[in-house]
Amino acid sequence: MSAQGTLPLQITVNGKPRTTQVEPRTSLLTFLREECGLTGSKRGCEEGECGACVVMMDGRLVNACLIFAVEAAGGSVTTVEGLGEAQHLAPVQQAFIESGASQCGFCIPGMLLAAHALLQHDTHPDEGAIRRAISGNLCRCTGYDRIVKGIRLAAELQRGHA
Amino acid sequence: MHDFSYHTPATLAEAIALMQADPANSCYLAGGTDLYLALEHGAAPAGVVIDLKGVAGLEGIVALPEGGWRIGALTRMADIEHHAELQRDYPSLCAAAEVVGGPPIRNRATLGGNLCNASPAADTSTPLLALGTTVAVSDGEQERTLPLAELWRGPRQTTLAPSAVLTAIMLPPPAPRSGNAFQRLTRSAMDIAVVNAAVCLALDEAGRVASLRVALGSVAPVVVLVEGLESALAGKPVDEAACEQVRSRAQTAARPIGDVRASAAYRAEMAGTLAMRALQDAAAMAGGGS
Ligand SMILES: Cc1cc2nc3c(=O)[nH]c(=O)nc-3n(C[C@H](O)[C@H](O)[C@H](O)COP(=O)(O)OP(=O)(O)OC[C@H]3O[C@@H](n4cnc5c(N)ncnc54)[C@H](O)[C@@H]3O)c2cc1C
Ligand code: FES
Ligand code: FES
Repeated sequence: MSAQGTLPLQITVNGKPRTTQVEPRTSLLTFLREECGLTGSKRGCEEGECGACVVMMDGRLVNACLIFAVEAAGGSVTTVEGLGEAQHLAPVQQAFIESGASQCGFCIPGMLLAAHALLQHDTHPDEGAIRRAISGNLCRCTGYDRIVKGIRLAAELQRGHA
Repeated sequence: MHDFSYHTPATLAEAIALMQADPANSCYLAGGTDLYLALEHGAAPAGVVIDLKGVAGLEGIVALPEGGWRIGALTRMADIEHHAELQRDYPSLCAAAEVVGGPPIRNRATLGGNLCNASPAADTSTPLLALGTTVAVSDGEQERTLPLAELWRGPRQTTLAPSAVLTAIMLPPPAPRSGNAFQRLTRSAMDIAVVNAAVCLALDEAGRVASLRVALGSVAPVVVLVEGLESALAGKPVDEAACEQVRSRAQTAARPIGDVRASAAYRAEMAGTLAMRALQDAAAMAGGGS
């Protein structure tokens, strides 16, 4: 049972355990951006429509703008910052660069995570599977073709890496 | 967003006791894909949020010993759309689960939440109604079952007592030589349905209609069954005349509103068309299975 005010929150973010206090009404997106300083997850529509905020939570792609941080208690969250490092990019990141998949870049963290979620269980996605996997992510710039190409390349890179 | 207190009961009894302490000011939280925005916009009681995700026994898909399936209310759309046996026996339900938002929404949105939100456009409501589903509801002491149609009072309103929890959705075993199908019309892939339709059809040994249920969504304050079809078509073949009966009766049964997505007349006409297409799909499945 809890009173109003803040609640203790134990959560693993990008592999690092954290213990903190949050107000129950704080969204996971606000927590990640403002408490953790991880601004890769974007504040887009804040209605679940655009996918700019998506993160992996306990192995599933989810909209951080529709989840209270307290719902992630005890769990594990991966943001775009946790996918790779500047010197050691993840296959999806490398592939997006090589494919010229990014224009303004606002949608890209979400696209990368959607691609990452897809490639976890489908190592040979066809175009239909790729388009379905990013169907919760809007891009206003690219027309999606280069993003789809990037994800196909990422699958190849990942198979090479494995 | 208003401040609220947040609770994670581990049992149904605890969840219901929390709700009973202050029902007018409390709400149950499942996947939150409807409730989060309702809280944000002040459309749901805001003081106490009772998260059902930690309550034991509310999630999962299990085969019933007497045939059919029990789907826990907290089961997520992503787990339903990909379930092999559900895909085989209840493709209409899997097809509806598969169109609820995009993948990240379906990783959170629950079947029980879709039904309890009581939107006339809730996609899984239509196939579940056509399939003859019953739902299990608990008041903390006992679980009772009711036909799905009795769950809804009107748009966004259920018949449940405020403290009652929807615990499970029960799918009856598919009849021999039966088929079911779902059809949906939207303006764009991510938008909610302009209208949707589902059909559950069983044939007799001669390949004629043994039972038929047609459900329509987004054409009335709640998801509705088209009345009188089974008696009109029982014993008849699923031919062009039957398709025309289904189309015209579905169109007449539709009592839609007009809004930004579609006019009332267009919705009613499309309700007929989608019902007819779903009948043809269901008939193909029923015939192919014999
Ligand atoms: C971007 C977006 C796209 C969407 N697209 C679609 C779509 O295409 N089709 C569609 O049908 N829906 C769509 N939805 C709506 C929503 O995702 C679904 O209705 C979803 O199934 C709701 O489930 P939930 O678990 O998130 O419910 P919640 O939001 O947690 O709850 C919804 C309501 O039901 C109550 N409730 C939940 N579970 C129970 C229970 N077990 N017992 C008693 N009461 C309960 C809650 O108190 C609340 O009032 C969309 C939503 C978003 C944000
Ligand atoms: S910000 Fe979350 S989906 Fe748009
Ligand atoms: S690159 Fe600009 S929104 Fe996708």
